[in-house]
Amino acid sequence: MNGLGSLALYLVVVVAIVGFIMVLTHLLGERHSQRGTAVPYESGIFPTGSARIRFPSDFYLVAMFFVVFDVAAVYLFAWAVAARELGWAGYAAILVFSLETIAGLAYLWKMGAFDWGARRKREHLERHGY
Amino acid sequence: MNPVLFAIALVFGILFFAAFVIWIERRFLALVQERYGPNRVGPLGLVQVIADIIKILTKENWIPPFADKGVFVIAPMIIMVTVLASFAVIPLGPGIVASDLDVGLLFFLAMSSLAVYSVALAGWASNSKFALLGGIRAVGQMVSYEVFMGISLLGVVLQTGSFSLVAIIEAQRRLWFCVPQFVGFVVFFIAGLAETRRIPFDLPEAESELVAGYHTEYSGFKFAMFYLGEYVGITLISSMIVVLFFGGWLGPWLPPFLWFVVKTLFFVVVFVLIRGSLPRPRYDQLIGFGWKLMFPLALANLVATGGIVLALAR
Amino acid sequence: MAEHSEVLRELEGRFGTGTIQVQETKDGMPTAWVSSEQLREVLGHLKTSSGGSYPLLYDLTAIDERNRKHREGQPPSDFTVVYQLQSFERNEELRIKVALQGERPSAPSVTGIWKNANFYEREVYDMFGLGFEGHPNLSRILMPPWWEGHPLRKEHPARGTELGPFVMDEAEQERQLEMLRFRPEDWGMKSQAEGHEYFFVNIGPQHPSAHGVLRVVAQMDGEVVVDLVPEIGFHHRGAEKMGERQSWHTFIPYTDRIDYLAGSMNNFPYLLSVEKLAGIEVPPRGKVIRILMAELFRVISHLVYYGTFSQDVGQMSPVFYMFNDREKGFDIVEAITGGRMHPGWFRIGGVAMDLPEGWDSMVRGFIKYMRRRLKDYDAAIMRNRLFQARTKGIGALSLDEAIEWGATGHFLRACGLEWDLRKKRPYGGYETFEFDIPTASHGDSYDRLLIHVEEMHQSLRIMEQCLANMPAGPYKSDHPLAVPPRKDGTMQDIETLINHFLGVSWGPVIPAGEASVTVEATKGNNSYYLVSDGGTTSYRTRIRTPCFAHVQMTPVMSRGLTISDLVVILGSVDYVLADVDR
Repeated sequence: MNGLGSLALYLVVVVAIVGFIMVLTHLLGERHSQRGTAVPYESGIFPTGSARIRFPSDFYLVAMFFVVFDVAAVYLFAWAVAARELGWAGYAAILVFSLETIAGLAYLWKMGAFDWGARRKREHLERHGY
Repeated sequence: MNPVLFAIALVFGILFFAAFVIWIERRFLALVQERYGPNRVGPLGLVQVIADIIKILTKENWIPPFADKGVFVIAPMIIMVTVLASFAVIPLGPGIVASDLDVGLLFFLAMSSLAVYSVALAGWASNSKFALLGGIRAVGQMVSYEVFMGISLLGVVLQTGSFSLVAIIEAQRRLWFCVPQFVGFVVFFIAGLAETRRIPFDLPEAESELVAGYHTEYSGFKFAMFYLGEYVGITLISSMIVVLFFGGWLGPWLPPFLWFVVKTLFFVVVFVLIRGSLPRPRYDQLIGFGWKLMFPLALANLVATGGIVLALAR
Repeated sequence: MAEHSEVLRELEGRFGTGTIQVQETKDGMPTAWVSSEQLREVLGHLKTSSGGSYPLLYDLTAIDERNRKHREGQPPSDFTVVYQLQSFERNEELRIKVALQGERPSAPSVTGIWKNANFYEREVYDMFGLGFEGHPNLSRILMPPWWEGHPLRKEHPARGTELGPFVMDEAEQERQLEMLRFRPEDWGMKSQAEGHEYFFVNIGPQHPSAHGVLRVVAQMDGEVVVDLVPEIGFHHRGAEKMGERQSWHTFIPYTDRIDYLAGSMNNFPYLLSVEKLAGIEVPPRGKVIRILMAELFRVISHLVYYGTFSQDVGQMSPVFYMFNDREKGFDIVEAITGGRMHPGWFRIGGVAMDLPEGWDSMVRGFIKYMRRRLKDYDAAIMRNRLFQARTKGIGALSLDEAIEWGATGHFLRACGLEWDLRKKRPYGGYETFEFDIPTASHGDSYDRLLIHVEEMHQSLRIMEQCLANMPAGPYKSDHPLAVPPRKDGTMQDIETLINHFLGVSWGPVIPAGEASVTVEATKGNNSYYLVSDGGTTSYRTRIRTPCFAHVQMTPVMSRGLTISDLVVILGSVDYVLADVDR
């Protein structure tokens, strides 16, 4: 049993079973509707404003780091599997590449991009006069 | 064996094992915490989880009117599908594997990346503030730990020269990779905790902060999907640790499959004990820990391993 | 009039004789009446005066005087607002009163002098309908916004049966829920600023780390808490109003439930005040038994705090361990009193019963067991680096801030002020015990926990001394007002029989007067300010609880931190909603 064929088969089985369970519970479950059913949970109080809100860019930054460094990681993957064939020349290249990655990381670190904590918050608060 | 039957047997086997893991967790945590845990349904309370599953199957399949309905339903299915799918490439014994993919390791990483969608979409589709916060935390956390989770495994790939999990196990006949790749093992273990969103990395569902985080609005079997998904995830990470660092099915005396199960159970218990002891870091500490410590560590391990492997190969 | 205390002489000297009218009280606390016009000036002077200042507004409350008969030596007043101040330098408290006339009079607000006056003035407004000129947001605080009337006014009914049948249909429920919805405009909050979009999230009343039914509404910018509004009152049961209806004796079990984690500890300040009014002296054995129980309950209450705090930080197991330990403590309480959480066991003049046989071995075993367990918890929690990273520096307060906001107990000690009433102003027999006052220096969440842990050790030490030095003799005073009189006497003469009958059916008649005694309770300073009009019930029962002040401080501690920090801070405050709302 190897190759993509068996993988595809397995995936079909997985999706089918998960889908079957969902249908089953849909058929077996009760139905009800009461007052309060249609209100999102917020500690038992009617919420103020919806949850469709813009979020601070800190979260977006993390996503950007992922994109940047995961793309970097792709090269490492390619090298790792063929390291023996590529020899010391490949190793030198990857060493330089790693150092550059670390340099980028160090730069972000110094910029405070990973410091969600105190400093940014203080600044934020001072800006708003708290 | 018929491949379809094998696939079905494998999926149900995993689900059954995950249910067993739930029982282990409840009994072990109880042991740690000076209480009994489930001990009434069946011998040693073993049937409790089965009873719970049957009960929850008959609960309302509720879709909140304020939610994004399609996404709300699909989100819990994604996590189940991705963690179950990952098992396709994991060899449980010699020849016992759904698909011996030559890029098995990459497939595992791809699937675990996809799992992020599940929690992110669940948090977003719920249209509830606690869920949204949980979802966003989950994305930041899983995406950050994803990066060095992959890199931490490259030392193993370097030593084996293959992405195939069967090849990786075979390469450990002489020495388990947990010795030369100890750093890689530690980093992967921590990343694995984060990927399964377990204490101390349970920030997306941090009960004391976000009520239930991204699955606040979920109930019935859709909630159970997240819940079961977590335990299938624990099983998955445990078996990956066993495959990559602890010689998979290799071992004396016992049949290979049994070795695999025993080793996996060991790590499941470690997961449980960690849950019983550690508090949870704050979000910025979590992100800082990942990027400032784990990421450079994984990279350094890779570079060092590369140098040693090349030096020995001469 | 007897000797004025030093501070009152100073006040007279400063503001001229005749402006200050001195009142004698049973508790000996300097008490002075000032006019409404001079109030702010006098209080401002007292807060900052160089010669022994009163920096802490300990309590602010009111008395509805309209039905009161015994007001000898007091200026005419319909409603009296009472300010109780605390001086650390002089180790003295001071009571300032303002007489107000009319149905719904107003007093000047002192929110400009003390920040913590905010909640207290809202409470007085809510309970008495008095106005405070200059208060930023005078709205209901304990009663729900739809409530009609002001409960502590004498014309407000005390029982549900006097209010007419209770009706709650769906429309009414909807209306009330709608009134509870948070409206940022009411609090001067904006939903956006400079490209930031804020959202408002209700944390509580039904939230895992609200520790009961506290509601805090957080203005959030992503994970960051921009501002916070604590909303209380969900646990309000009208304990002060009940105090006006229950006899002096039958109110004791109600006090157990004020800080419901601290059981008998709550009886202490109430009974000390009653005994001061009646002039009852508790015999030595009674005193030591009371201290034993109070310290046992201090350990029990701190255990809940310790466990739930670590759970707020994300640790799952300690709360189970500590609830088990607490059960062991309750086993002793049960053996001694028959009750567990709320034994209602102290009595006017002593305690209800003598200690049972074998109490000492149980207590000895508990002390030994707890010491071992506390050592384990040090390793699992206090020395856990992740735990420290989450709590150190979080929710830090300076000593000045803490005093400004009316903080007491562990808050002051965490800021480095060595202040414990058991030592500074020993009550109920504490002067004979040896123990230390733990202090810390940062005033943050970790230090507050540190104080609690150390206090448990000290409590065990005190319990050990109770074991070693339990005096013989009666456990209860035989003062005629300490009810009920000795039963055997009733068989001998008619006077004792009559007294017994009255004492049991009506309860004792406590002489008219005012008294307030403060104790170092588990969560800060707790006192009962009792006004007797010479009847079988209290005329006014004011319960000053520490948590009320501490909950008000949560915004100061958590602005600018994340929601995770907010949960840590809430956990570190050590509040019980029953104690906040009463």
